[in-house]
Amino acid sequence: MGNRERGTGNRMAKRPQRGRVLWGLLVCWFLLPIHGLRAQQDTLNRAMTLERRGDPTSALAIYQAILIDRPADINALLGAERCLGVLNRSIELIPAIQAAVSANPSSTVIDALAIRVWGIAEQADSIRRYAERWAQLAPQDESPYREWGGALQNMRDLVGARQAYLLGRERLHSPDALSPELAQLAIRSNDYPTALQEWLKAINRLPGYRPSAVRTLSQAPDAARPGLLRSLDLDQSPAARGLSIDLRARWGDPVGAFHRLLASLPPDSAESGDMLRNFLVTVRGINGSEARTAQAMTLEALADRRAGIDRARLHLEAAQVYAEAGDRKAARRMLTALSQDPDAAALQVGATTTLVSLLIADGEVDEAARRLEQIKGSLPVDDYQRMRRELAQGWIRAGALDKAQAVAQADSSVEGIALMGRLRLYRGDVAGARALLKDAGPYAGTRAEATGRSSLLALIQVLKGDSLPALGAALLALDRRDSTAAVKGFERIAEDQPAAGAAALRVLAGRVEAGRGHATEAERLFRAARVPEAPASAAEAELELGRLMISLNRFPEATEPLEHLIITYPESALVPEARRLLNVARGRVPRT
Amino acid sequence: MNRRRFLRQSGAALAAASIPGILRTRWPIDAPWLLVPMDDVQTEHLKAYGVAFRVLQRGGRGEWFLNYRGGSFLLPADQITARDAALAGVRVEPLDDDRLVRIRAEIQQGNMDAIPLEKAPRVAVYVPPNAPPWDDAVTMVLQYAGIDFQKVWDAEVLGRGGLAQCDWLHLHHEDFTGQYSKFYLTYSGAAWLADMVQRNTGMAKTLGFPSVPAEKRAVAQAIAAFVERGGFLFAMCTATETLDLALASEHVDIAASFADGTPMDPDASAKMDWSKALAFQNAQLELSPTLPSFSDIDGHQVNSPLRQPLGAFKLFNFSAKIDPVATMLVQNHRDVIPDFYGLTTSFTRRTLKPGVTVLADEAGAPWVKYIHGERGQGTWTFYGGHDPEDAQHQIGDPATDLSLFPHSPGYRLILNNVLFPAAKKKELKT
Repeated sequence: MGNRERGTGNRMAKRPQRGRVLWGLLVCWFLLPIHGLRAQQDTLNRAMTLERRGDPTSALAIYQAILIDRPADINALLGAERCLGVLNRSIELIPAIQAAVSANPSSTVIDALAIRVWGIAEQADSIRRYAERWAQLAPQDESPYREWGGALQNMRDLVGARQAYLLGRERLHSPDALSPELAQLAIRSNDYPTALQEWLKAINRLPGYRPSAVRTLSQAPDAARPGLLRSLDLDQSPAARGLSIDLRARWGDPVGAFHRLLASLPPDSAESGDMLRNFLVTVRGINGSEARTAQAMTLEALADRRAGIDRARLHLEAAQVYAEAGDRKAARRMLTALSQDPDAAALQVGATTTLVSLLIADGEVDEAARRLEQIKGSLPVDDYQRMRRELAQGWIRAGALDKAQAVAQADSSVEGIALMGRLRLYRGDVAGARALLKDAGPYAGTRAEATGRSSLLALIQVLKGDSLPALGAALLALDRRDSTAAVKGFERIAEDQPAAGAAALRVLAGRVEAGRGHATEAERLFRAARVPEAPASAAEAELELGRLMISLNRFPEATEPLEHLIITYPESALVPEARRLLNVARGRVPRT
Repeated sequence: MNRRRFLRQSGAALAAASIPGILRTRWPIDAPWLLVPMDDVQTEHLKAYGVAFRVLQRGGRGEWFLNYRGGSFLLPADQITARDAALAGVRVEPLDDDRLVRIRAEIQQGNMDAIPLEKAPRVAVYVPPNAPPWDDAVTMVLQYAGIDFQKVWDAEVLGRGGLAQCDWLHLHHEDFTGQYSKFYLTYSGAAWLADMVQRNTGMAKTLGFPSVPAEKRAVAQAIAAFVERGGFLFAMCTATETLDLALASEHVDIAASFADGTPMDPDASAKMDWSKALAFQNAQLELSPTLPSFSDIDGHQVNSPLRQPLGAFKLFNFSAKIDPVATMLVQNHRDVIPDFYGLTTSFTRRTLKPGVTVLADEAGAPWVKYIHGERGQGTWTFYGGHDPEDAQHQIGDPATDLSLFPHSPGYRLILNNVLFPAAKKKELKT
């Protein structure tokens, strides 16, 4: 009984055991590949971690190990390509690629990889072989021809690249296939007319190519530009019109381009809005006041197509950009429109700030001050102080030094102290100005302000006398952009100064004259400042004289002062610049 | 006046008043000699050669201290020389007789030598008319260093007197096979190529040659004769390889049909007479007219599918007392110099003639960079590559501004060659 039971028990026990084994085998059969996949993934992750840690050699070893078992593993192939590229050994991937192709002859990814690697090896025949294979696998795909041409371009085989693209176009029976590639290839060959035609095909196919077309075509040399614009004018397609507008904007006529755009806007407001926004992006990337004006005009045109707060914001931005461009009349027009806009209440502070700047620039400083006080409570303190200093600058230009001083006295910032120093100087109080400008130090404000302050201090430190009203008047005249009066003033004061001060003033006057294009006067002043008793100013004068002569293409006359500077003042910090100019004057380096 | 300009200039003025200068050498100098150190303390390596050259040009004498502080120069401490050095920014060290004696003793004991420099060579550059001065490394560095040179081209080389008026000749990167650097098909339509073709065909016609390749071969032969008579030849880039190809192809057509109307002899490699060449032998010629490569002389093959990556080349160290010429040619403050491409970048060892002195090579590579040899009474030096400071130089690239590379070791090698003919003849033992 017991045995039977035991035996029965054993049989009973064996059944589930066998079942468990069977189940186990079944589970293993399913899990093994999962485990294998996970192991593979772990191995790949380990290799990628090594890559990220900057150890391409170890990562490469793992990828290569994977490729021994699975030659067509794309991840391992791509990883090996990355590592070998970093190690500058890309060509070593070639055997792996050949094995991968044998293992998986239908993979176009491997073909793409093969083209890249054979491209690095600069083996045109092999590139072609893999491109042709890929083209057979994907007969409607442009990619094989794109990669083929790209690899040949990298080898500087521009003729071969063009043939590859054209072959693709022919086989795909598509006259605009690979047009972006052919356009860029034409640009590389300086063949801008062909590039233009190819870009037009590309844009007609996909309008998103327009920025690339504009960017590359805008590099066309001056001589080629009229021809390109004529071609575009003959082509009445929207793509040609758009390209013509963008290129005109980039080639120095942004306002003209804007007017062309305005004339070609469609009645549909959404479409015209898009066109205006695209143009705005273009002109924002161009420097110069003309481009700023075109930008402001575009903003205004956009504002006219909007309503509510959007319209008000665009008008405000247009006003600010018009002001930056120096078109104060247009800026005011925008601000007037803004003031009549019931939706613009939230923008009043910004509008008033812009208006204050405009009023200052127009000389209406009292009105600017009144407006500024109206928004004082809404402005951050720093912004308010900055605007107040702008006001003070306006009063200085208007000759109202008392009002400017009242502003400066209320400003305890470093910039305020510097402003006070300048005001003292304008009043002829050289000693007071010296002290204040020293207190302000060389760092506050913008770099230009700091440099200006330091140079002013350098000038007055060499002048004899604590009170020089005539100097103040001359500097004030310079600040008020009356260069003629300033130069006369500097020369008059120089006559009463010892050598160092006189030379410093003559150098300053010479620079003003050179800046005005009065070369003869500038030359006379620089020559007069070359006195051994004032070595610092004499060195400056000689450098300026050399620079002036070079700008006039009078090279032999440039060498004498520059040589004298180098020999006579060998410890001057201007010597390296003098040597540089001497190289230019003697034709020893290319003129840049 | 523009405010920004005013501020900028005033800032410079302030700097002038307050910042101490960088030059410490004061003059006039109370010492009989000036040492121009050429090690790392030198502030203007390239212009230092110009200073030395102008001393010789004025009838003065100097010495080249080979392997002493990077190949320093000893110059007389006259006012003109001191002034010239100061203007050029070249560092000089005043030297009294006692110190000079100590230096000479040091030179005597080490692998160094003092070579007298006594006559400025008359320098000529073979360059096409209207070529911009910034298109060729040698022209650039001669201009930068202030070394006078005359320009010669085919009419002067083949004309009466030939190259008798010059001691040292540099070959611009000319293609002496007459195939326009084999850019004819690749750059077809480019304005610069059309200009080059027109100028060369015009010159060949004027000089009475049936084709440009025939005329260029005659020029190459005249240049070889100049060396034979005792001239110093220096060539870079593709002029090195094509000069020898032109010389060795006296009886075989190696030019493609676009150049002379007849295709290249398919068996040209076997028919070359290498005894006529200066440096190379047994090269295999490139038969494809579209491939801008001439032969397997060049190891790097920059414009072909066999293009090799750039490495660095190392200058050999020669015995200054036994091999003064080779030592002069490798004077430098750097031994290892980054390589740079040219239409001919390097020279495969396999194609070098026996007896060619290798001055620099890339360790482990099958090519060398800088070679030297003799022919008759004269010498030639070949230096692969186009521009030592523009490793990947391509057509249309901006000119190199050498004031940005005043210590360029690659350019120093060119200037060693310019000054080497100034060395006293009897010292040139090699």
